[in-house]
Formats: sequence, structure tokens, C-alpha cells
Amino acid sequence: MARIRFEGVGKRYPNGFVALEGLDLDIRDREFLVLLGPSGCGKSTTLNMIAGLEEVSEGSLYFDDELMNPVPPHRRDVAMVFQSYALYPHKSVYENIAFGLRMRNHPRAEIDRRVREAARKLEIEPLLERRPNQLSGGQRQRVALGRAMVRQPAVFLMDEPLSNLDAALRISMRAEIKQLHQTMATTFVYVTHDQAEALTLADRIVVMKDGVVQQTGTPDEIYEQPRNSFVASFLGNPPINYLDGTLEGDGAGVSFRRGGLRLALPSRAAQRVAGQAGREVTLGVRAEDVDEHGSPREGETVHGRVTSVLPVGSDQFLGVEVEGRPLFFRVGKEMQHRDGDNVALVVNVNRLHLFDRKDGRSLVW
Amino acid sequence: MTPRAARIGRNLLLLAASLLFLGYVLAPVAWLVSSSFQSESEITSKPPHWIPHQPTLKNFEAIFGAGERDVTYETRRKADPSSGGFIPSTAKNLLPAMWNSFIVAISVVVLNLLVSVPAAYAMAKIRFIGRQTSIYAMLVTRVIPDIALVVPFFLFIRKLGLLDHVGSLIITYLAITIPFSVFILVGYFESLPDELDKAARVDGCSRLQALLRVFLPLALPSLVAMILFAFLTSWNEFLLALMFTQTPASQTMPIVVASFTSDFTISFSFINAAGVLAVVPPVILAIVFERYIVSGLTAGAVKG
Repeated sequence: MARIRFEGVGKRYPNGFVALEGLDLDIRDREFLVLLGPSGCGKSTTLNMIAGLEEVSEGSLYFDDELMNPVPPHRRDVAMVFQSYALYPHKSVYENIAFGLRMRNHPRAEIDRRVREAARKLEIEPLLERRPNQLSGGQRQRVALGRAMVRQPAVFLMDEPLSNLDAALRISMRAEIKQLHQTMATTFVYVTHDQAEALTLADRIVVMKDGVVQQTGTPDEIYEQPRNSFVASFLGNPPINYLDGTLEGDGAGVSFRRGGLRLALPSRAAQRVAGQAGREVTLGVRAEDVDEHGSPREGETVHGRVTSVLPVGSDQFLGVEVEGRPLFFRVGKEMQHRDGDNVALVVNVNRLHLFDRKDGRSLVW
Repeated sequence: MTPRAARIGRNLLLLAASLLFLGYVLAPVAWLVSSSFQSESEITSKPPHWIPHQPTLKNFEAIFGAGERDVTYETRRKADPSSGGFIPSTAKNLLPAMWNSFIVAISVVVLNLLVSVPAAYAMAKIRFIGRQTSIYAMLVTRVIPDIALVVPFFLFIRKLGLLDHVGSLIITYLAITIPFSVFILVGYFESLPDELDKAARVDGCSRLQALLRVFLPLALPSLVAMILFAFLTSWNEFLLALMFTQTPASQTMPIVVASFTSDFTISFSFINAAGVLAVVPPVILAIVFERYIVSGLTAGAVKG
């Protein structure tokens, strides 16, 4: 059990590269926290710092109230699952799982009991005598999970553990990891660049970019109330559509204008930008926030020409050129559109996002 | 030609080429061994006898009995009963020299392990300033031919008061072998994923334990390659040994064997018997580590 606290933590390499800057983060006991971001954003560095594999070059890292900066990894009560699994090639599956317990001098009988229990839970009992190179990717992944599980650590760290698995296995393993978190009742910190993994697994998500936290919140908050255009574009499939334009009108009637397109802004946004007519902004429209059945209404409709139709099984992605910009929308597959058709799509204006054109800050949230 | 005939033809060609190569490599060794069991007169017979007609152990007896006999110009002719040939005046130095060689080679191997393994692990797995530079700097020292180093080494050894002491050879051989040993091991350690190191440390290993319990067992083939390299280099080295050793107290095998050829006269059978003794330790080493040698030489080619 552990609460993990970062206070002004930074990571600076000798060559001057800054991997992480001013991280303040409070990971609650038993929380499932996901660090999400593109590669090089500092999420793995953050994870390695919790494990003690990277030194903290600025600030303080606490487990509960104990300062962990100087504590080496083998004296921290953490277990870790790696993207490449990092199983010991010269040891059997049994020895791989038992190794961490042996290093901590657990009695032999206790080790045997825990290894077999973990193997049973993960359904790898018949594989215990095999070597890692005799296992499939999914089996290796289970062994890696088992190796971390048996330790019953205070903190469970996972560094993109599913990236090397095929798509179908990835989804079933996601469910298993979620279940594991519930049964183990311990703090999980999970690193991924896969938004779907983050949204399904996390209690809270931390979105990072270039070593700086962009937003921390529940999956819903992150998706529905992105603080900036980076967070908004990192989640959602297909990604959110952006349109540059200006503000128009005043009072309750503030709207977004780009050429012939005018969209009324939701009242929350309208209040925030009241009196700023002419300001240059970027509008964000999530792909699913359109209704192709709605009757076109002034200030809530985009008109455009279909440029592509991409069926994806359950529904279809529609490429539409609006005011010279290609946008993508997710619509029902009963819509029989063809390239070159003119369409009018009603936008759910209450779910529009608005960002400052220069710094990408949200003007709604 | 049918494909089958073509395949057989190709295989026969490969076989013939292999046999030719094998003969080229092994013939001198075969002659060394065969002639060590021959008398001086049989060695010089024409055509040579690849298989001794009158095999004799007298040459080896002469080597092992040399310590008890005092060979002088007058007595040397009688000294080698196998042939009526000559026994070198330095013959009694051979066994002590072999012991010296052994001490030097084993010391160099052990010290190589103690220094190279941690050094290679650090260079491969710990990111520190000057890491890349230190690897290059080490290798650069090996670009300098040994002959250029003889004088500086000599002055250094003399200052240390180690002239004519096996310690001088151990020190200089370490300077020669360690850069290569580290290089062999760095290459292998680098081919092992960083995550393996991280996994071991999160699992409860200190750096040293991670090295001993995870990296060393995996690096066994490379370690064997390194051990063989250090052993053979020390065992065979001639130039530095010639410079730093003057008396039987510190002379090594190559020096003593070479001295046989500059004696009053040359006894081929005796020298060849000494040669056979000289190849025994490396051969034993190679047999012991046989199953690791091939994988060690190809280490890093394929990730396990």
C-alpha cells in the first residue's frame, strides 16, 4: 500500500536534455493511474523514477511520507512489468517468477506456494518448467505479470505492457489487468501511448507532453473537458477536428465564424469569451458530435462536400471538406454517401471546444 | 545434370575444400606430435615417417629428467640417449618455465575477469559522462604495436623493481589483454536488453547482484571467449617476456623453447617434444570450454 507524491520533480540529463519538468502529482493509495502521452513525453522517465531506476535530479519523491530520492530500486517495494517482458532467458518460468522472492530471502515453502498460486491465477501452471524462449508472446506477458504479482508489492508499475501483443490479445489482457488491480488492491501506475488503454483502465489519467503534465483527471474529464488542444487531439478516434476562425457577436449570442460557416457557441464558452469579438480562435469538433439526421438549423450546421467514405464495421468515417478544411466525422453506416455529395451535418453545439489559436489553451474549460 | 547429381557434386567439392583446409591447418601439429615420439635419426629420414617406425618416449624422459642431469659441453652428447643427438644446456629450465607460464596465464585470466567484467557492465549499462570516449580510448591503446611499447614498459617495470620477476609479465599482459576483454564483453552486455537489468534491480538485485546473477550466466559464452583469449595471449607471448626476464626464475615457456634453437647444436626431437608439452594446456582449456566456444565467437549475432 502506498501513496506516491511528486513535488516539483524534474529530470535533467548530463547532456542538458530535460526529460521531465516541475512534476507535481499525488497518486492515491490503490489508485490505477495511467501516464499517457506520445513517445518522449517523459512518462517512462516518471515511471522509472518511481522504481528508482532513474535518479530524481530536482524535487522530491515520497512513498507515503518517506522521501525516496536516495533509495535504490532493490530497497523499494515496487514491482514492474516491461514492454519487452524482460524475462530472464536462462531461468525457467518458475525461477523467473520466484527470483524476486528469492532475492528478498523468503522461505522456500512460501516461495513455492506463491509461485504456484500466481501460476494458477494466470493459467500458466503447465509452463512452469519451460524457458522463456519456448513461450508465445501472450504467455511471456503472463509470466511477466506473475513475476510482479508474487511480490505483492506496494506499487505495481507497468511500462506499455501490452504494446507487443496482437490486437485481440491486447483487449482481453486489458480486462485481466483491470481485474488484477481489483484483486491486488494496490497502487498501479501504468504507462501507455494508447488512448483506448488509458480510457478503459484508468481511475485517473495524466496526459504528458515534452516532459510537462498537460492535464490530470478521470477519463471522462480528460475526454470531455480537455484543457488544451493537445489533450483534445490525443484522445478520440478519429481525432478531434480543428477549424481556425474568429469570434463574432456579443453577449449571449457569441459565435464562431469561418468564411460562410457560423456556429453558435455553448453558453459556457460564450460567457468566457464575451466581448472579445474578432479574437482568433480554434474550434474543436469531436468526430462523433454530429447528427446527420437532424434538420439543419442556422448556427448549428456545417455544410460540406464528401471527400471520402471509410466504413469501419459498426459505423463509418466520413471525410468532409468544410470551408477548405478536411474534417472527419463518425456517422451511422445507414447513411449512403458518396464522394462528391454535398452534406449538411448538425453539430451538437453544446459539446464544441474552443481553444486559443496561439497557445492552444481551452477557452471553455 | 540432374539436380541430385548437382547437389552431390557441390557437396563433394565442399568436402574436398574442407579437407584441404584441414590438412593445411593440422599437418604441422600432426608432425609436431609424431616427431616428438621419434628419434633424431628417424626425424631426418627421407621420406619422413608420419607414423613413427620406432616410437620412443626418450625425448620426454629427457625433458622430465633434465633437472637431475648437469649438461656440459663434454657430457651433452651422452645426455640424449634416444638418438645420440644433443640435449640443450637449458633443458632443465623447461619445466620451471612451464610453471611460470602457467602462473602468469592463470593470474592474467583471473585479473582479467575481476577487472573486465565490472568494467564492461558499467560501460554497457550505466550512462556516465565519458562512457563512449573511454571505450574508444581503451581500444586505441591496442592500435599501438607492442614493439613501440617495449621501452616505456621496460622503464616502468624497472622503476617498479620487477625486472626478472613474473609480476612484470602479469602487469604488462594485463595492459595488453584487458582492453580486448572489455571490448568483447561490452559488445555482449550491450546486446542484452536494458530492461533485463532494470527487471533484475526492481526484483531486488543491487547492481553487483544484477551483474552476478543475471548478466554473468547469460554472458558465459563471451566470458569463455575472453578467458581463452587472455590465456592464449599470455601463454604465447614472446617479445615482452624476452625483454623482462633474464633468468630461469621468471622465464616463460616460449623463451626457453626458443633458447633451444640457439644452443650448441639443435635437437629437433627434443624441441618437438617440448612443443607438444607447450600445446597441452591450451588444448585442455579448449576441450573443457568446447561447448561455449562456438557460441562465444558468434555472440551478439543473434539475440537470444
